[in-house]
Amino acid sequence: MLKEKLEKFFKIDRRCIFLVLAVVLFAPIMKPLGLPNKTIARDTRNAYEFMDKLPAGSFVLFSLDYDPSTRPELHPQAIAMIRHAFKKNLRVGVVTFIAGSTGLIEQIFQTVPGEYNKVNGADYVIFPYMANPVAVMTQMASDLYGIYDKDQDGKDAKTLPVMQGIKNYKNMSLIICITGTAMLDYWVAYVGDKFTVPVAGGVTAISQPGYGPYLQTGQLKGLIGGMKGAAEYESLIQAPGKGTSGIDSLNLGHVLVLLLILTANIILLIIKYL
Amino acid sequence: MSETWMIAGAWLAAGLTVFLFSFLYKDNPFFKIAEHLYLGAGMGWWFQVYLYNIWEPKVWKPLLNYDWTVLIPSILGLSLVTQFIPRISWISRYGFTFMMGYGAGLAIPAGLSTDFITQIGGTIKPLSAMASSTPPAIFNSLLVAFGVICVLFYFFFSVEHKGAVKRVSNMGIYFLMIYFGAAFGNTVMARFSLLYGRFDDLYTFSAGQYLYATQFIIVGMIIYFALHGFLTKGKKEAEAAH
Repeated sequence: MLKEKLEKFFKIDRRCIFLVLAVVLFAPIMKPLGLPNKTIARDTRNAYEFMDKLPAGSFVLFSLDYDPSTRPELHPQAIAMIRHAFKKNLRVGVVTFIAGSTGLIEQIFQTVPGEYNKVNGADYVIFPYMANPVAVMTQMASDLYGIYDKDQDGKDAKTLPVMQGIKNYKNMSLIICITGTAMLDYWVAYVGDKFTVPVAGGVTAISQPGYGPYLQTGQLKGLIGGMKGAAEYESLIQAPGKGTSGIDSLNLGHVLVLLLILTANIILLIIKYL
Repeated sequence: MSETWMIAGAWLAAGLTVFLFSFLYKDNPFFKIAEHLYLGAGMGWWFQVYLYNIWEPKVWKPLLNYDWTVLIPSILGLSLVTQFIPRISWISRYGFTFMMGYGAGLAIPAGLSTDFITQIGGTIKPLSAMASSTPPAIFNSLLVAFGVICVLFYFFFSVEHKGAVKRVSNMGIYFLMIYFGAAFGNTVMARFSLLYGRFDDLYTFSAGQYLYATQFIIVGMIIYFALHGFLTKGKKEAEAAH
């Protein structure tokens, strides 16, 4: 009797589970719970500390290579790291090899520089989208202006105050690649290792475990993984954003999955041994 | 951007999101509209990207400035298109030859150095510094080295997997399973993050300034499903009776 009742559990309409998941993820957006995000991953802290130790005026190149499909995870990472760079008075350069990211970059630089009184051309520069990343990365090793002679607005890149003293990777203190593609691998292989430039990254949670070997060998100075990583970085710079607010939903979603897995396994065991 | 366009954008974004999610309930014409729009818009988007970000600045403008050198890569690129014409498809080999040579020349040395030699060094180096390491660091180094050896044994097929070799390769399976488990856990987190992102946008578009786009669209979808279910109920009963 009990066995038959329990077996019904496995015939639940999966749309019920979708609905419960939707409620669990949506509810904290309407009414934030403020669940704490106490653990900071070692790799996120390493990325933060590396940038934090750079002297003011150092040039940091951001390669923002993500499109709207990975925006919830990567956009908060990019915002947090750019905020940190501006807070430390670092010079910021932005490149992209994903056409879909140009709008998202525009969105960031419409608001973030204003918070720190940073001016386009003097404190930061945005370069236009370029196809064929490996060719561009290789060319930038000898002369950045051979590829990027103009910034996004068509201004002569060489004469911009933010670019003074910057010709190639030797003049850069850090490269940060935030991507949902293999672009970070390219930066490590074709630039970081080849020209001994420090590289740090921000990636989606899916690809995060794959970068463990690069972290162990020091080929990557630090890594932010997924929305959790974004929340951690926001905690470190003390500027809560979309990463932090998403943690409530993620926590509840994970609890739901754990409960479903546990319940299903317990029921299976009961059915098997009763 | 004017307010009207902002509202129109919000309705479009919220509408397409809800239409696509509606497939989780069941297939419907709204899902099909969103799906086809996505494909069409995607193609259109890529066409303009190639036209304005690659063809215009990299080919057209240099040609207008009498820079004829761009013709060489352009012709090599165009040669790839001849693949679609069987009679002259051999011309495409020139383009592919260039791509293969260029790609292999760049990728092989970098791959060997970054993913092979440096990784072997990364596995061995901590072992050589064990005298000055802490006990947890020593354990970690040994575990990594042991894991690498076990997994390599699992993928080594020139020796029959029996006896000690089988035990070691079985250990390799456990290491791989731990990696897959971690990767799957992260995948679940990533998917939830993406879902959260869409929900966050839907919540934003539910505000009065967007004329309650989310609420209206969701209610509209519910009415559609209710009406559709009601109108097709009779048909289904008739079919069942047959």
